Amino acid sequence: MKLSHLSLRHPYLLSAIIFFVVLVVNFYLQESILEGNTINNNMRVFLPLVLLTAGQAVVILTGGIDISVGSIVSIVSALLATRVGLEGTVNQTLTWFGIVLLVGILAGSINGFFVSYLRLQPIITTYATSFFFGGLALFILPQPGGGIPAKVANVYRTNYPLGLHWAFYVIPLLVLSWVAIRQTRYGRYLFAVGGRAQAAYETAVPVNQIIFSTYVVSGFMAALTGICITLLTGSGNPQIGDPMTLQAITAVVIGGTALSGGVGGIAGPILGALTLGIIKNIVSFANIDYWWQTFVNYMIILIALAAPGFIALFRRNRS
Amino acid sequence: MTTSLSAQNIVKRYGGVVALSDGNLDVYSGEVLALIGANGSGKSTLTKVINGVVVLDGGQLLLDGKPINFDSPHAAKKMGIATVFQELSLVPKMTVAENIWLAREPLRSGLFIDSKEIKVRTKNLLKLFEGTYRISMSMDDPISSLPPDELQIVEILKAVSIDPNILILDEATASLDNRQVHRLFELVRQWKAEGKAIIFVSHRMEEIMNIADRYTVLRNGKTVDSGDMKDVDEKALVSRMVGKETVYSLSREDRPKEEEPKPARLTVESLQTGVIKGVDLTVHEGELLGLGGLKGQGQRDLLLALFGDIPYEGKIVINDKEVDFSHPNQAIKESIALVPGDRSREGLLSIRSILENLMLPSWTNYGFPLNMRRSIEDGDRVASSLNLVMRSLSDPVNSLSGGNAQKVIIGKWLLKKPKILLLDDPTKGVDVGTKAEFYRLLQQLRSEGTSILFHSSDDEELLGLCDRILVMFEGKIRATLVGASITKANLVAASMGASEGNIA
Repeated sequence: MKLSHLSLRHPYLLSAIIFFVVLVVNFYLQESILEGNTINNNMRVFLPLVLLTAGQAVVILTGGIDISVGSIVSIVSALLATRVGLEGTVNQTLTWFGIVLLVGILAGSINGFFVSYLRLQPIITTYATSFFFGGLALFILPQPGGGIPAKVANVYRTNYPLGLHWAFYVIPLLVLSWVAIRQTRYGRYLFAVGGRAQAAYETAVPVNQIIFSTYVVSGFMAALTGICITLLTGSGNPQIGDPMTLQAITAVVIGGTALSGGVGGIAGPILGALTLGIIKNIVSFANIDYWWQTFVNYMIILIALAAPGFIALFRRNRS
Repeated sequence: MTTSLSAQNIVKRYGGVVALSDGNLDVYSGEVLALIGANGSGKSTLTKVINGVVVLDGGQLLLDGKPINFDSPHAAKKMGIATVFQELSLVPKMTVAENIWLAREPLRSGLFIDSKEIKVRTKNLLKLFEGTYRISMSMDDPISSLPPDELQIVEILKAVSIDPNILILDEATASLDNRQVHRLFELVRQWKAEGKAIIFVSHRMEEIMNIADRYTVLRNGKTVDSGDMKDVDEKALVSRMVGKETVYSLSREDRPKEEEPKPARLTVESLQTGVIKGVDLTVHEGELLGLGGLKGQGQRDLLLALFGDIPYEGKIVINDKEVDFSHPNQAIKESIALVPGDRSREGLLSIRSILENLMLPSWTNYGFPLNMRRSIEDGDRVASSLNLVMRSLSDPVNSLSGGNAQKVIIGKWLLKKPKILLLDDPTKGVDVGTKAEFYRLLQQLRSEGTSILFHSSDDEELLGLCDRILVMFEGKIRATLVGASITKANLVAASMGASEGNIA
């Protein structure tokens, strides 16, 4: 009773504990983890998933889900690799960054239209559009190749302001904007729609518009993720986003945002995304045979997901 | 400020079903209009048309004489029409204050929510009902942690917070106790004096007689009568509601006279749960034992514990055998049945068919593969014995009216022929005609030897039907009413915790 009360008030508590535990394990296996250089290197790898997770969290908060985000990431990667290319200019790159963000918003609007105004099931709708978007990515760039100018990519990869990677500016900015959004009506509406859409509707909350907007946010964040991951790799890959969709959803859940909606936020999911990144580190540093790595990776994720359930079961049996 | 609202010849269809064929009402500033009718008469639909939750298919709404159209609750609210919804419009995971001001939060610099202002305003609102809710209740509590009466109060405050010209109270008293109803009525009189127009929907005749100035009666989707309350009495109103149907009157004569006590079937000793603080009781064979008192005094917990649905401490003896339930399955094996209080959530699979709902506890008796022909025969038999009004057994159960849906829940247990029947406020929101049938059914079950533990929030029902009445107060049995001590005065007194021990 007390624990569940606490977890409702502080949905991030559990995700913080899990994050801390995996961090300690990682430190045990790789002592350099807390050194500046390693942290920067890690953060630049983690940032794309963090961005994607933040967008997904907003959708899940209202009781929806967006399966198509990975494919939007792929479209962005394909577009940048073909339209800008390794020989492109800085101006060209920036122009296309702007264009792909609009593409993300458009893709999100398509999802949002189907889900909110046509009232289709989010999971089915975005599953279907994920193939549409994924197909477009492959049409634009049939196989991995191309890229963006190294000059631009290096800004992300090596030239950080004040010795801290961009992630250290972007993530606090994300969290701060979330704190601000929570203080607005829009923030309240997100929780109300996810908590009980019918009650929100009867209270004059514009439910359809809110649901629509979450998919636009998610599409925008997916495009941002696409830019980020292209900066990281420097090259194009039309399937680079595929595995990221489920990772983002997992990160949201580890972060204490319920799939049923109405509880949570984005700070927890961001911690969840970092946790997933560290778990990958652990697996690669634990000298596990290659073919066991996926297995171990997902075992750890499963345990992290199940932890609250086990605690509750244990408490029930004791009382 | 004066205002008036008029609904003229309102028509509303849901799919092929006509819920309202000719709904009319007029309500003016400074009066309380009682909107009355049996279940399924179209009351809810008419209120939903007026507050914009559903869009009408025909007819016209006039506000201050001007035609109005709205396509959402938002539009209705803008025109000053607020509703206290029967199925509360609260978001469970948000706090009391957040819920009251949802979509109307006061803002600082046009963007950020002014939580200080919210605090002040919520405090002022909560003062309206001060003293009738728990002292520990706070505006920062999540809605999901509140008991039903406080939820209802929050819902009322939420509607009032927009300072409406027209206020619709749809069964707003259903979860409130006497004190809270009393306070609400004081407030209603005050709002009336301020010039608000109030539409009052309730099943409790006593309250209608008490608060309403005028009435409008709906029957089968049509407005059949309107008039001044001072020209009618309870009986006249009821007969207008039910039309030609006869009204079953509760008379003491139906009750068997003092007989030799029959053997005990169910004995409970020092039963405790989170809410119940030590309850002893005995239900005999063929006894109808009432469970009364104000709402939320532990009646629900007692019934759930006896059904093995929640953990408990204490001793339960059935037919001289001690039992220890940790799952409802075990209770069902001991031939216990529970008709739960929340019909739609606990009692029914609302989108599944009537047949499936009836058969749910009994499928094991129909072999493998399931003998559908026999199940349909049995289903038909139960349906006709309960006078179930339906088109076909294969219709979804949510196509039934409240009273008929309740019959399905009872029917599903009757198929198992229970020896002990636990009823948690089974007539809540059920129309007069169905109630009468239900009372007859209880009498019949009792004469067949079924032991019935019957919780009701309707005092008249308990007084009229039960052999004995246990009155619960704050998790304990405050009084046991037997024979001549079964009077309304005793029941109300014990409910309020006024009298100690047995009144015999």
